[in-house]
Amino acid sequence: MSRLDINIRRLMVQRACLDLMARRVDAIPGPVFELGLGNGRTYDHLRERLPGREIFVFDREVAAHPDCIPDEAHCILGDLRETLPRAIARFEGKVALIHADIGSANPARDARLAAAVADSLPALLAPGGLVAADRDVAFPGAEPLPLPDGYAPGLYFLYRNGAARAAA
Amino acid sequence: MSRLDSFIRRLEAQRACLDHAITLVRDVPGVIFELGLGQARTYDHLRALAPEREVFVFDRQVDVPDAWRPDAGHLILGDIAATLPRAGVRFAGRVCLVHSDIGTGDATLNARIADFLATALPPLLAPGAVVVSDQPLAPAGTAPLDLPADVKPGRYSLYRRA
Repeated sequence: MSRLDINIRRLMVQRACLDLMARRVDAIPGPVFELGLGNGRTYDHLRERLPGREIFVFDREVAAHPDCIPDEAHCILGDLRETLPRAIARFEGKVALIHADIGSANPARDARLAAAVADSLPALLAPGGLVAADRDVAFPGAEPLPLPDGYAPGLYFLYRNGAARAAA
Repeated sequence: MSRLDSFIRRLEAQRACLDHAITLVRDVPGVIFELGLGQARTYDHLRALAPEREVFVFDRQVDVPDAWRPDAGHLILGDIAATLPRAGVRFAGRVCLVHSDIGTGDATLNARIADFLATALPPLLAPGAVVVSDQPLAPAGTAPLDLPADVKPGRYSLYRRA
């Protein structure tokens, strides 16, 4: 598989996962978090699939296409390891869907960041809240969900927050 | 259609056109020119499709990990307005496939590049050579080819030298 093939497959699985989670999240009230705006493609996809849903974007800096930049109130800039724990005060138990697109070419760096993100997920997610991630962000109480048909496990990671009910 | 949707379509069109072009030039000897390295996706794809061919990459600058970077002998850095005519001395009539992926968000600039390529490419092309482009080009001495069935007209362009 060439890098073009790998990129196409990665984007297809990403889109299939976002579409699946966008359907499932219909029944769950609350905002959506996009971790990693990048060039804004998946942000654009989420806002198209979830019209009317409030989406907050977290990134170190904004480098997206001008059409794909949220307003200031929905852009939370800084290191995820700081901004995500800080968001708990405002969003505790409220977030319906979190999409984490945080992978890089550096597996060690990705594993550390995924673990840091996972630490904040249980506190942020609504009961039954959903997570889609390009790296394994398994968190306490996470119920893994199968990927959409045709995609092998490990290409993307889907979870449902199953534990928050007990914590209430 | 979201930007994610349109990006997937663009990459799929790119792949379908390159796969098609490689089969068309199977019996055409020569080297491959990649204009614009970008993220090295299509460069890598071309090398996978035609491991026996030399691929020369032209770009103003490259910003990819070393593992994806062409070796110094196959990377020609600089403005193609200068580097491509210079390459014509070495490769006149010896290029079997050109992939041009240098479109920008600036329509005026794109048109200027396309005009330049329409005259700069023909002397390079071997008989039977194919040009694959993200912009309409109409290089002199070539005829447009039908796109692969799953690629929407206008999304990519294919030309062949007689």
